[in-house]
Amino acid sequence: MPASPNPRHRVAVTAIGLVTPLGGNVTENAAALRSGRDAVTPVTSFKVSRCRAKTAGQVSGSWSFPGAKAEWHRASHFTTAAMQEAQNGDPQFTPELAVIGTTSGGMSFGERFHRAQIDRRRPAERAGWLANYMPQKAVLDGLDVCGWSAPMQIIANACASGTNAVGHAFQLIRAGMQRSVLCGGYDAISELVYVGFDALQAATPEKVRPFDRGRSGLVLGEGAAMLALEEWESANGRGAPILGEVTGYGIATDNHHLTQPHPSGVGPRLAMERALADAQCPATWIDYINAHGTATTFNDATEGTAIAQLFGSAVPVSSTKSMMGHALGAAGAIEAVFALIAIREQFLPPNLNYQEADPAWELAIVANESRKAKVRRVMSNSFGFGGTNASIILQAA
Amino acid sequence: MNLAGIDSKAGRLEAGVAGIGWVTPLGTQLHGVWQALQSGVVAESRPIENPETGRLHQVRPVSPKLVEHLARQPRLRRSSPISYFAVGAAMAALEDAGILPSAEARSATALVFAVSNGGVIYTRRFYDQIIRQGANAASPMLFPETVYNAPASHVASAFGVDGASYTLVGDNAVGIAALHFGSQLLALGACERVLVVGCEEIDWILCEAFYDWRLASTPLSEGAGAVLLTRDAPLRITTAAAVPIFRRAEAGAALRSALGNQEGEWVISSGDRGFAERIERRLLGEKGTWVFPKRYFGEAPGASAVWQVIAGAMALRTCEARSVLVPVVGFNQQAAVATLR
Repeated sequence: MPASPNPRHRVAVTAIGLVTPLGGNVTENAAALRSGRDAVTPVTSFKVSRCRAKTAGQVSGSWSFPGAKAEWHRASHFTTAAMQEAQNGDPQFTPELAVIGTTSGGMSFGERFHRAQIDRRRPAERAGWLANYMPQKAVLDGLDVCGWSAPMQIIANACASGTNAVGHAFQLIRAGMQRSVLCGGYDAISELVYVGFDALQAATPEKVRPFDRGRSGLVLGEGAAMLALEEWESANGRGAPILGEVTGYGIATDNHHLTQPHPSGVGPRLAMERALADAQCPATWIDYINAHGTATTFNDATEGTAIAQLFGSAVPVSSTKSMMGHALGAAGAIEAVFALIAIREQFLPPNLNYQEADPAWELAIVANESRKAKVRRVMSNSFGFGGTNASIILQAA
Repeated sequence: MNLAGIDSKAGRLEAGVAGIGWVTPLGTQLHGVWQALQSGVVAESRPIENPETGRLHQVRPVSPKLVEHLARQPRLRRSSPISYFAVGAAMAALEDAGILPSAEARSATALVFAVSNGGVIYTRRFYDQIIRQGANAASPMLFPETVYNAPASHVASAFGVDGASYTLVGDNAVGIAALHFGSQLLALGACERVLVVGCEEIDWILCEAFYDWRLASTPLSEGAGAVLLTRDAPLRITTAAAVPIFRRAEAGAALRSALGNQEGEWVISSGDRGFAERIERRLLGEKGTWVFPKRYFGEAPGASAVWQVIAGAMALRTCEARSVLVPVVGFNQQAAVATLR
């Protein structure tokens, strides 16, 4: 990749917001990460009796916003809550642009519309379903509630969407093309997507066990995460809180198959190599890797291989999806915030349900319990359908 | 303008248009379709039936014959029409630019996709199986094609692109947003060229949604448009970030803000006698030559704005225009503007 002709501005994270199955804000999530809470529970929002898998990480709780409407999709609620938390963390932050990742928007409203066609019903709510189904709606709702009138770029790069959103926002600020960008991701569980992963036999009926020899598949999750990114001097000049810094981003496309990564791990390896080069950071400087770690046979095999090739067995690795499932388009943004929590609170989030090492590679898995550590730089990985691979590097302020 | 083609005052970015290609209900030939548009040829429409209620909707589809040769591509064997359209338009744009497949070409090219509804045919079929036959009978062959970035993945595979690939979703202004995103990638120095593709496919459930949502004043259509951006091609395109529309009543103000003081000898409109055309006419007046591609193509939300840009590029290539303004008033998200010269 050719070198950027642009100046390299530093990129500060001045605020974060988080809604996940582990908690409705950053504080609750940090406590859950530290305690290693398992937030995976039986699915409640649709029938799973004919699926192999029966569980998911599901967001609980409710929110109330001025201007919120009854017909909003729950994804709008997650997204708005995460944006509001970020806004409360840095009230002076004003985004010039919003770059948000998602995979399925308000899909469950599309499902209801479909069922109504088959049932030959035209319920009054259908107008609300349509208006709130599209992926841009949750972002518009959140921006509107926060009083932010920013253009939006909504990235749908499957499970890498959230990391792509943070990475693209970072690149724009670093190059001096934007001063402040709100970035993040959101997704809400839907029947169609749940059954899709079940049909592919990518979802597990058991506990989710990333990197374990006996791993048997992923568990879906949901949530939203937002990060306020700002050019360092600008943030510093106005006395904004600086929670951390984004320093590198790598993206790679693996053309092996629509849903399966190349067995060599070339896609993940290229993304990680490019992020390290972008950050001008040797692999030995990374203190922790928040892995994509879906616990599918193929993902963990390729990611594990790529991590072992690049980092050896010295860098601690965990997949926080073991606690809350895979939040798809939100996952990368959620895990970027988890990385900042690990840096701020100096601990390594655990990889739950880990029993036996996979002999295919030697990795320093943070098994089952969090632990104190000196954490200055974190790499966060996201890989998805379509061969999208993305890695970002965050570091202490 | 600085080195990267950035007009920092207005946040506008400039890039070169090195190649264009389209798959439309009026055909796939650049000049042939452009002439048809200028002659007022309306794409043939046919009814599509909601099998549940028997309701008929008029749509303007792409003839399957135009893309059937792409079935030889291994990745397209099981894919939805939207991916055929995307690969067809992408191939045409690369050929138009004289780009031959090579290792250098692949590694220096980024992809940016614009979609609005994505692979709606397979999505509807997959969910239909869940409802009628049960979750355990839903086909694993269909699900991967339902993800928004499936067409981008097929294009990346067809051309061996291993670098940046982004799929953007949004309303019918998403094509301009994708072109701006592509210009951002060029300005970042992350690649030598960006292939921007906007695509859409028709299904009866989409027609029902547009009908219920009262957006059906223009018949739905399908297809794809592709624009290859480089830094130095002589045909120049300028874009800026789209302006958000939170409420429909704000659409006029959003377009006014997106327009700024930009002008064009020709206007390639996003309207078809409805809401968007009224706003554009109110803000731009009657001056200049106006072209209304949606009157002839129909509305293909993910592809429409890219088709407008390609029509504008054709007006410049044929020396009919010296500058072109492409305004887009989106359904429910954004207003955006591109200019070409």
